[in-house]
Amino acid sequence: MNDFDFREAAEIERGEQLLRDGYVIEPVENRPALDRLRDLMVTVACGYLSTPLPSDPELWLNRIGDLVSVERLNAFRIAVIAGMNAEPWVRRAYFDLARNALSSLVGNELAMQRRLNVSIQLPGDDSSLLPLHADTWSGDSPFEMVLWVPFTRCFGTKAMFLLPPGPSDTFATHMHTFKTAGVEAAYEAVKSDLAWIEIDYGRFMLFNQNLPHGNRINRENETRWSTNCRFKGLFTPYADKKLGEFFEPITLRPASRLGLDYVMPEGFDE
Amino acid sequence: MSDAAGYRGYIASRPILGNRTAQHVQNLVIRDYAQRHGLLFKLSATEYAMPGCYMMLQQVLQELPLLDGVIAFSMFMLPPARPARRAVYDTVLSLGRTLHFAQESFVVTCRQDIGRIEDIWMIQQATSRPVEI
Repeated sequence: MNDFDFREAAEIERGEQLLRDGYVIEPVENRPALDRLRDLMVTVACGYLSTPLPSDPELWLNRIGDLVSVERLNAFRIAVIAGMNAEPWVRRAYFDLARNALSSLVGNELAMQRRLNVSIQLPGDDSSLLPLHADTWSGDSPFEMVLWVPFTRCFGTKAMFLLPPGPSDTFATHMHTFKTAGVEAAYEAVKSDLAWIEIDYGRFMLFNQNLPHGNRINRENETRWSTNCRFKGLFTPYADKKLGEFFEPITLRPASRLGLDYVMPEGFDE
Repeated sequence: MSDAAGYRGYIASRPILGNRTAQHVQNLVIRDYAQRHGLLFKLSATEYAMPGCYMMLQQVLQELPLLDGVIAFSMFMLPPARPARRAVYDTVLSLGRTLHFAQESFVVTCRQDIGRIEDIWMIQQATSRPVEI
């Protein structure tokens, strides 16, 4: 803390944790919203599969591999994404899971990704892997943060991994040496430095998507279900993911509205 | 290749010949191409944004033995250096696979196809150079 940083002490602590570890994990700020999102996820999935609603949603999600084969998985996942995003309340509910954390870590005037993504990692499935990558490498702005929410408990290889800031900086200096060996070789080079993110249902993770991250084959006997969605300061630079097609303002403030609407007095031309 | 191996999509996150196409639009074009040609489309790999980087292309080529082929959004996503493009064609053909370009509706299935695409590539490069008088 210094004389020119006017944030509250708790905000500073949270921010330092993000800068040090690359992520923060906290209890969701609106548990009914989380449960409502999970109910929707299960309802959409059951509708697609024409099966009755389960009494234990988390158990049912964990065992989805009994009902969906690897071959059908992507079509199923796309149907769940479409079904969830079709509900107009979904993005607000998702934002409410981490409203305060987003405000302190990203800003109070935000752009939010227009669609939630859903990841489903079946045990043993090698078709849905995200190899080591940073979102910035494929067109995301370095000003974005990912709000990542598990809908089943994540542990072991069911979890995602993240390369922490120090090793990430080192890796960035010699990433180009893997240009022919490829991404898998890069993973092998950094795997001893990776942090595997254990997280329970009921908590969220906000993480720095500029850091390399990804997942491996899920060797646990349960399925991982998670959602992710990007947030950024509304007036921070955009990269390939543009305002309008990918992001949309969600908390435009009156002062910005005044500025956007303002027109200088005209008619003074000679 | 075998039952339902499919074709990996390959899209760009940096401009192609100076023009940007949104990634979801690139995927729509590839998906439409795959449907029209009866090809099983598998989720696209997105080339990294760093200029001159082809790590995802390398990744896709390494995965090629497990695929039927690749559907790139555009032929102009290939490396600008001719030997590097040759290496890509050679890898694809030596494995008996095919390389498709959705936007231009071209496919590399044999050596003869390479000539057509290389002619277009070289003319494109020649006509985009400033004329020296």
